[in-house]
Amino acid sequence: MTGWHAPETLIARYADGSLPDADAWSLEKHLESCTSCAGRVSGAVRATSAGTVLADVRDAVLAAAAPAPAEAAPQDLRDAVLAAATPAPPEAPPLRTPRLLWAAAPAVRGAWLPAVLLVVLSAVLLAHVAGFSGARPLLLAVAPVVPVAGVALSYGRHADPLHELAASTPSAGLRLVLTRTAVVLAVSLPLLTLAGLVLPSPGAPGAVAWLLPGLTLTLAALALGGWLGLRTATAVTGGGWLCAVLAPALASPDGAVARHLSDQLSAYVGGAATQGGWAAAAALCALLVAARRTAYDRLERF
Amino acid sequence: MGGQREKDEGDAALLRAVAAGDPAAMGTLYDRHAGWLHARLTRRCADPEVVREVLQDTFVTVWRSAGAHRGEEAGGWLWTIAARRLIDARRAQERSGRLETTPIDTTRTGTGTTPSAPSAEERVLAGLEYGDVGTALDRISPELREVLRATVVDGLTTRETARLLGIPEGTVKTRARRARAELRAALAQLAPSPMGGPA
Repeated sequence: MTGWHAPETLIARYADGSLPDADAWSLEKHLESCTSCAGRVSGAVRATSAGTVLADVRDAVLAAAAPAPAEAAPQDLRDAVLAAATPAPPEAPPLRTPRLLWAAAPAVRGAWLPAVLLVVLSAVLLAHVAGFSGARPLLLAVAPVVPVAGVALSYGRHADPLHELAASTPSAGLRLVLTRTAVVLAVSLPLLTLAGLVLPSPGAPGAVAWLLPGLTLTLAALALGGWLGLRTATAVTGGGWLCAVLAPALASPDGAVARHLSDQLSAYVGGAATQGGWAAAAALCALLVAARRTAYDRLERF
Repeated sequence: MGGQREKDEGDAALLRAVAAGDPAAMGTLYDRHAGWLHARLTRRCADPEVVREVLQDTFVTVWRSAGAHRGEEAGGWLWTIAARRLIDARRAQERSGRLETTPIDTTRTGTGTTPSAPSAEERVLAGLEYGDVGTALDRISPELREVLRATVVDGLTTRETARLLGIPEGTVKTRARRARAELRAALAQLAPSPMGGPA
């Protein structure tokens, strides 16, 4: 607010399009913040040949504006506040089911679902056809990474062709990430756990032992995602887990990979104390995600 | 509510009323801002039909999303919406092949008319007296000026400028660099100290 206002001659020449660029540019910048000059210029433009167009568009805009508030006329102050807080389009809201599908679809699209099925199938085949006793430890070692990978593949520009649209909706950010994570978990939890149940392996931890580590790694990926972006975060958590479990077993000198893997897993996921630790870590990650929920609105910067 | 509004009612209050679904506030807001938005769009797009569509889209968008206004200057906010709509319209136009000429190949000639400014305006300008900056601006080619306007005055990103003008992003960057260099050279030629008097 400089107290400066555009002189009439400047306004008249801007309105009829004869003002040189340099002057026009500074007037345009001024109009962005000066309501009174904006009103004066608009009045001057209405007086030119553009007046009829402006009147036509005014009618069209007000026609578009009129019917919606007639139905949804605010009954009281609370309605008015709610209406202001949720700038919903005036048309009827779409059905719930397609919206949910739209929200969830990219989570189970593409290569991820076949990959989950492949993991499950090969574990079962290894155990029952090839008679490989280490099938369950191997499955348990890989299983916690499966939902993490699903999360990485479910949100963002690289995963979702509709992402730009999705990101501009009110449900974008954490809400959409969580919806898609839930879908990923809903698909992978029963599949992997069932597969674990049908695998015989006397020495390895139980078939459900992977659930808490899997959940924790997924939440850790989400929490880290707020800082690093989802893809990097999932690579760090998933890759970290695989290294921690597989590397010592593979590096063992005597070649008894299955047994070492089994020992490794028992150390990581077997026993009440370890599972309690995973649960505590999961809660911590969930708290982190909740505390930094606004960070997920800007995931696309990564 | 409704009826005759005070002339100096603040834009922020108007936008709150619009967000609450008050068509009268919408009318007042339109009367205050539509004119200059129309003029500004017209200086950037030679097709009156597109200008009209963009103006209408802009105010329909305002009607739907006034609640998203965060209290910044209403005029600047409106222009942001209008500029985005104009970019969208250009893209749609390109897709349907209606854009008859793109300014890509006019750079070399240096005398090609700006597609977003009528050539009549250029002729009027030639006979007018204005300050140093205006003279300097007039010396650089319309293509460079167009890039300066989109990036500096309208505050668009390189990507948005590329979409608006229908040229590749690399070209936008090159032209912006050249425009600055030429502007500096032109100002230096006009006066040894370019920071001299006001334009």
